[in-house]
Amino acid sequence: MRPGLRAGRRPSDLQHLRLLPAVPLPGRAGISIRARIPAALDLRIIWRRFLPLLFAHSGRRRARRFLPGNFRVGIHLQPALSKRFLALLDWSCAEHRLPGGFQILEFFHGPLFRGGRAKFLPLGISFFTFEFIHYAVDRYEGKTEAGSAAEYLSFILYFPTMVAGPIKRYQDFLPKVRNPSKDTLENWRIGCTRILTGLAKKFCVADVMTAFTNHLNKADILTAQRWVLPLWLLAYGMKIYFDFSGYSDIAIGSARLFGIRVPENFDWPYFQVNIAEFWRHWHISLTRWLIDYVFIPLGGSRVANSRIWANLMVTMLVSGVWHGAGLNFVVWGAWHGALLVVHRIWIQLRGPAPPDRGFIRLAASWAGTFLWVNLGWAFFSMDLSTALLFFRRLVGG
Amino acid sequence: MMLQLLEKIKSILEYLGGVSEDLPLESLRWMRGPLWWGTWWAVLILSIVAFSGQSSKFIYIDF
Repeated sequence: MRPGLRAGRRPSDLQHLRLLPAVPLPGRAGISIRARIPAALDLRIIWRRFLPLLFAHSGRRRARRFLPGNFRVGIHLQPALSKRFLALLDWSCAEHRLPGGFQILEFFHGPLFRGGRAKFLPLGISFFTFEFIHYAVDRYEGKTEAGSAAEYLSFILYFPTMVAGPIKRYQDFLPKVRNPSKDTLENWRIGCTRILTGLAKKFCVADVMTAFTNHLNKADILTAQRWVLPLWLLAYGMKIYFDFSGYSDIAIGSARLFGIRVPENFDWPYFQVNIAEFWRHWHISLTRWLIDYVFIPLGGSRVANSRIWANLMVTMLVSGVWHGAGLNFVVWGAWHGALLVVHRIWIQLRGPAPPDRGFIRLAASWAGTFLWVNLGWAFFSMDLSTALLFFRRLVGG
Repeated sequence: MMLQLLEKIKSILEYLGGVSEDLPLESLRWMRGPLWWGTWWAVLILSIVAFSGQSSKFIYIDF
């Protein structure tokens, strides 16, 4: 008999951990495999009770101070507090060293940071900082409860989504952690399918596209035949979609193994028929974050037209700068900001598109959206001078 | 007609990818069984293995 499995005593959670390697051995210690698999596969127990404790007591003094800091402040943040919203954001930026701060520093002092960035930038900081800010702001506005320290740490340290999203919301996550789905077999069926689908997207499509996207450099652009250029850019558009949606599938599938559903990140973005719809279906969790914590605080769409357009531009510029340090990302953000502004003006002038428009009009709208989005990838995939060269060759030959 | 067909294809792909848990068409009941899922997983695994060895990092990992 294994230690801790004495008769009449319920195995503790730690013993569930010890049971894991024993799963493939049928009939061991008189317990049938059928009875043991669900207990061993019930990773929710391990996650909910142990991982937060492991991380919180990892012995790293700085890490211990860093994480509960946000939580402690979150507990005391009440809607009645007189601190202003911007002051709160300032504090949050200072305490958590917003990745935006790094990006901006790198943008202006590139040579100083070049080669050294990876040494002090924690993996995934851009993503979990979004969750820090969300938690602090929503606590301040009274939109969420504080939860317990373990629940907060589960939220922040939830590994499937920690590195590159999807960006979760505390109020959505809490009920799932407190009462995760208990249908283990179904969770594993869906979770494994999502993980395998994500891997297939990455290996079978995204990585195949790399052979074409590697040509997006000055030397190849100068020497290539003109008709090849749009194909290389299209390949990049496919690569980034299948790469990131594949990653999101793996993250969502991994979360599902624990019985927890996290938000979707993609919903057929390349099949949308206008740019606003594209952004509602591309990197959905980031778009929602930008709307809630950048666009709406700026006034959203309840202000004068010129302010709405400015708000759209600022929001997309923030998105661009977040994506990378370099003028090309600023231009990429401005590109999408301008597309959103033009779309808004178009809607104001012509009214919203009728739902029963014919297939031809729908196809034309789709083709236009697809074209503009894919042209925009030029600024995302190449530095500014290379992207401009690309367009010069594309248009001028 | 065309749009309905595209919607059907989309819902089948979502079911196969694990995004949707509801069977898109009643005529595809056979897709519910363990035999189907085992076969589908085998196809996915074989595809992954066939294309492995050329991997690059995930684009969004270091943001």
